Amino acid sequence: MNTFTRWLRKKWILYIFLCIPVFYVFVPISQYDTEYLADPAKYLLEYVGKAATILFVIVSCITPLKLLFPKVSLVNVLVFHRRQIGVSVFVYAMLHLVIYYFYTGTWEIFIEDWKKLFILSGILALVLLLVLTATSNNWSVKKLGAKRWKQIHRLSYLIMLLLIFHQAAQEKTGYRETAIYFAPLIILQSFRLVKIGMKKAKD
Amino acid sequence: MNIKNRKSWELPESAVTPEKNYLNRRHFLKTVGMGSGALLGASLAKGASSGFPSILNQDFNGEDLEKTPYDLIKGYNNFYEFTTDKGDVQKLANKGWQTEPWDIEIKGLVDNPLKIEVNDLIKKVGGIEQRVYRFRCVEAWSMVIPWDGFPLKKIIDLAQPKSEAKYMKFTTFYDPKNAPGQRGRSIDWPYVEGLTMDEASNELAFMATGIYGKPIPNQNGAPIRLVVPWKYGFKSIKSIVKIEFVKRRPLNTWQALQPREYGFYANVNPKVDHPRWSQASERVIGAGFFSSRKPTLMFNGYEEQVAHLYEGLDLKKNY
Repeated sequence: MNTFTRWLRKKWILYIFLCIPVFYVFVPISQYDTEYLADPAKYLLEYVGKAATILFVIVSCITPLKLLFPKVSLVNVLVFHRRQIGVSVFVYAMLHLVIYYFYTGTWEIFIEDWKKLFILSGILALVLLLVLTATSNNWSVKKLGAKRWKQIHRLSYLIMLLLIFHQAAQEKTGYRETAIYFAPLIILQSFRLVKIGMKKAKD
Repeated sequence: MNIKNRKSWELPESAVTPEKNYLNRRHFLKTVGMGSGALLGASLAKGASSGFPSILNQDFNGEDLEKTPYDLIKGYNNFYEFTTDKGDVQKLANKGWQTEPWDIEIKGLVDNPLKIEVNDLIKKVGGIEQRVYRFRCVEAWSMVIPWDGFPLKKIIDLAQPKSEAKYMKFTTFYDPKNAPGQRGRSIDWPYVEGLTMDEASNELAFMATGIYGKPIPNQNGAPIRLVVPWKYGFKSIKSIVKIEFVKRRPLNTWQALQPREYGFYANVNPKVDHPRWSQASERVIGAGFFSSRKPTLMFNGYEEQVAHLYEGLDLKKNY
């Protein structure tokens, strides 16, 4: 392990990284960006949603990366921080929901909208993220047993599908953004499947 | 029920612009611009219809409405011809896209087809007036905008449609070189919109050439756009180059793109939701994070003027 990767393993470095969206959102606010001033609730809603999506893609890429590049030290840094990155997805998603409440303005609309598939997919993803977050500790791993714990955390594939739908459903023309956000994950998972298939064929 | 149902050809006295104000822009530039120096001349020369004084139509004076600040009106735009990013339209629409001179073609089932430069058209219809209208986007945000322009009815009177003409079809410019959004293929450019003849003849239907007394900024649809305040904003097509009088209902761009979500009528209706969000309320642009919601009004508050157009029509099906 060289000094750089040892440094990257420090938790405070990780926490700064995970707070980048929080620091960065103050740029448009301090610049009186018209898009922010015109419709701040919508701006923050989408911003925080994007942060959660990107962090979700990052944390989901870790498993295939580890399988494809087990010796790369940067990959091992990510594996080392996986749990905290995962929890940060939940934190941003929760913040997304809180802003969504203010965005809708009233309880009636907030509850009413849950009937819509677009909203429901987000709510379901958040509930599943809560399950994963609640079990993201050593105690849960011990209590559930490694096998059961792993099965539960495979729910993240379901979350991925829900998020792809949630993101795609809000794009009005084409699916450009959805493709950009999820491309790394889809590509890595495909390579991973190819590698597993090749290994099986060899056996 | 007291429905004020003024015949569409009856303009209120307040809408009449005094004849001495019908200044030709070029004449205006010559007399004022030369006298006050190049600076004033330069600022006036930007955009069409700058030389036409606009007088507030007291029937639409917006006394009870809080007008959206000018900076937000011109800084927060949906204009997919440039970008889907509302904050960036302002920059991209002012990077070489020319909106003056600008010809507009009026044709189809009419006795009097014509192709005319926008400034000449304004002169021909007798100048412009100011009206303060609510503007409600289908995305559930709203503004209050003081438009300058003239009733769409004046174009109908000018063109003299034949009796077979049942709809008006409007077409936006097509210039992918200067409008980067038009290089994408996700929308079948150019943008098209339509109205029934009854809708188009309604006193509220308006052709805007200015905002807050200034020529309409490029990003808001320079030099001339439609404004139909009882319908969702996407009906109010921008930067029009062609108006056709047709027999069949035109397929408007958003309906073509997502027929389940956007229809032909697109009347503002708090009781008919968008598949993905509620239309019962709207976020008021510029009102801040905590107090931005207010209830949406039927026909965007213009029920008295337009409800009769849709009598007997199932508004849930004809969204």
